[in-house]
Amino acid sequence: MLIVALPLLGLVIRTPWSRVLDILTGETATVALRLSLVVATLAAAISLVTGFPLAWVLARSSFRGKTLVRALVVLPLVMPPVVAGVGLLAAFGRRGVVGSWLFDWFGLQVTFTLGAAVLAATFVSFPLAVLALEAGLRGLDDRLEDAAATLGASRWYVLRRVTFPLMAPQIAAALVLSWARALGEFGATITFAGNLQGRTQTLPLAVFERLQTDPEAAFALSMLLIGVAFTVIVALRGRFLR
Amino acid sequence: MRWFGLLPLNAVLLLAACGSDGGADAAEPHELTVSAAASLADAFTDIGRAFEDREPGATVTFNFGPSDGLAGQIKEGAPVDVFASASPTWMDSVQEEGPGVSGRADFARNRLAIVVPADNPAEIEGLDDLAEDDVKLVLAAEGVPVGDYARGVLANAGIDDATLANVVSNEEDAAAVLTKVLSGDADAGIVYVTDRTPDVADEVSVVEIPDDVNVIATYSIAVVTGAQEADLAQRFVDFVLDDGQETLAAYGFLPAS
Repeated sequence: MLIVALPLLGLVIRTPWSRVLDILTGETATVALRLSLVVATLAAAISLVTGFPLAWVLARSSFRGKTLVRALVVLPLVMPPVVAGVGLLAAFGRRGVVGSWLFDWFGLQVTFTLGAAVLAATFVSFPLAVLALEAGLRGLDDRLEDAAATLGASRWYVLRRVTFPLMAPQIAAALVLSWARALGEFGATITFAGNLQGRTQTLPLAVFERLQTDPEAAFALSMLLIGVAFTVIVALRGRFLR
Repeated sequence: MRWFGLLPLNAVLLLAACGSDGGADAAEPHELTVSAAASLADAFTDIGRAFEDREPGATVTFNFGPSDGLAGQIKEGAPVDVFASASPTWMDSVQEEGPGVSGRADFARNRLAIVVPADNPAEIEGLDDLAEDDVKLVLAAEGVPVGDYARGVLANAGIDDATLANVVSNEEDAAAVLTKVLSGDADAGIVYVTDRTPDVADEVSVVEIPDDVNVIATYSIAVVTGAQEADLAQRFVDFVLDDGQETLAAYGFLPAS
């Protein structure tokens, strides 16, 4: 407990509370916060939309190699973020597997763009979305879906009117969890997307850069991130987790 | 599962190793912790080995990183014996705001250079080319010595407005800048001449910065006040100032004066 409590206590004590308002309304913080919200929201949305079909397959079907697929899905959760960044560079960098093709054909460079920051955040938040959605689908009473189908509902109609409403709490949980993870992403982002104010400098990167020049500002920005994380946990506890 | 049983044994060995300080061995073990600028990594690793050969029982543990970050750690109370900074500024900050230092001396200088991927996609031939449209330039962040020096070079050349608009990323240190150039994602970066080590010489080319606009970085070293191994630390500082000079020169550093 202490190992969790002490760093938090340290941050609270070291935060220059009289300057907090100035720092959090300053340019660095507002620009980084806005960018972080955009990146995290896009990443969570992409994770949710692309994660749902995968979660469906994992929950509803059985096939050889399913354990392997699930292991691959979870891998980004336990992978060192900097390794994720190196991997993303190898795939989407200007000389990467996909990146070199994008660059040669369309003159498109992914690295150092907002898209790169979203990609990095999606990479780490995707597993949480899939796991939460899969748990939701498993907990679902599929007889209700069968009943709707026997009454003549199309598959899409069943999905829209029966499946989604029934698992709304898990969808919300998947969204919130992957959003929160995307918001905190640091290592893959700085390695793959770089660090430029207004383009790829999300809040955690701003914390890191401030730590070198204005530690007090770093403490204040950290408190902001902790505040968001804490709110997420409280919201999840109240509604979705018991 | 079986090798989990070995864990407690490891723990015991570890404790035993910790407890053997001041034992009756022929050479008493001394561990020296040196926080040094990232740009010194290769040269100091060699110097550290030579120092260990000179001092039986001494082990030198290096903590390489950006000087500003290292100074921050020391000021927060990290147990460091020797600090070697790529800029007098961060030595000043430890001296004035931190635990303080003793035996401070300048021990090397370094110049800056432009590094580009070997195939030089943006055709950078000189400093002015960095101001061309659509050049993807990567620098170390402000506050990081090599980042501040690079901005100084651009200001000296009178092209800072145009070039700073080309910056696509502010990296944490010179090594991170080099990584982006190595991967081919950045068209150019500004780092120390010494950062282009033999390991990466095939993949990055150096474009020289003329002496009249170049910034010369001065490296300072000192014993951190309150060092656990103060005497050994001072001997390490002396070693860098004496025998270490040859190694530093071999890695491309200029003498302190």
